[in-house]
Amino acid sequence: MTLYDKIMALYPSLTQQDYMTVIILQNDSDGKGDYIAKWNHPTLAKPTQEQLDGVK
Amino acid sequence: MGTLVLSGATSGSTTIAPTDAATVTATFPGATGTVMVSGNMPAFSAYSSVAQSISSSTYTKVTFDTKEFDTNNNFTSSRFTPTVAGYYQFTAGIQVAATTTTQLVFYKNGAVFKYGNQCPSISYVTNNSTALIYCNGSTDYVELYALFGATNNTNPSNSSVYFQASMVRAA
Repeated sequence: MTLYDKIMALYPSLTQQDYMTVIILQNDSDGKGDYIAKWNHPTLAKPTQEQLDGVK
Repeated sequence: MGTLVLSGATSGSTTIAPTDAATVTATFPGATGTVMVSGNMPAFSAYSSVAQSISSSTYTKVTFDTKEFDTNNNFTSSRFTPTVAGYYQFTAGIQVAATTTTQLVFYKNGAVFKYGNQCPSISYVTNNSTALIYCNGSTDYVELYALFGATNNTNPSNSSVYFQASMVRAA
């Protein structure tokens, strides 16, 4: 399950537009994987690592 | 054919200008001629020969394992860091074998700098994007990132997943 999948499981209301404006998920191809590079959503809080780890 | 040789100092710059530069335009060659500029004007072309998985809605750095040319050895680790200050024309392409939207993004110094074209969700369509970017010749670098609408692999080849740049004007 990708980081995007986990976030969508937590916040299914997020749209593709959100991922091009207020949220940026990024992978620098350096072996460290996907991460949240920017989270400026006006109403939804940035998910914690614990929340993300809890999504199965 | 004659040759014009300017002799003098062995370093610094040489200026060719009309005596009254404010009102006179120096033009060479004629309208049908060609100006050949030699010297160090960096250019590179690289492509990916290995499929790369890109997660949905995740800006992912595209990696390039094969260089076609790199005139000034400025392209390493899928990053272009030109050592000559100037304006560079970047061109890139990416293709996916499955149906998903694709978008290319030119990153400068690790951050989004220019969005490229967004292709609709059609398989085997190559998304081509360009950008003109100034680089200071020392610390500025440019990388290519891709954004897919759904998790997919790239469809690599020299003609479908590539990254190129050439200096078009010195600083």
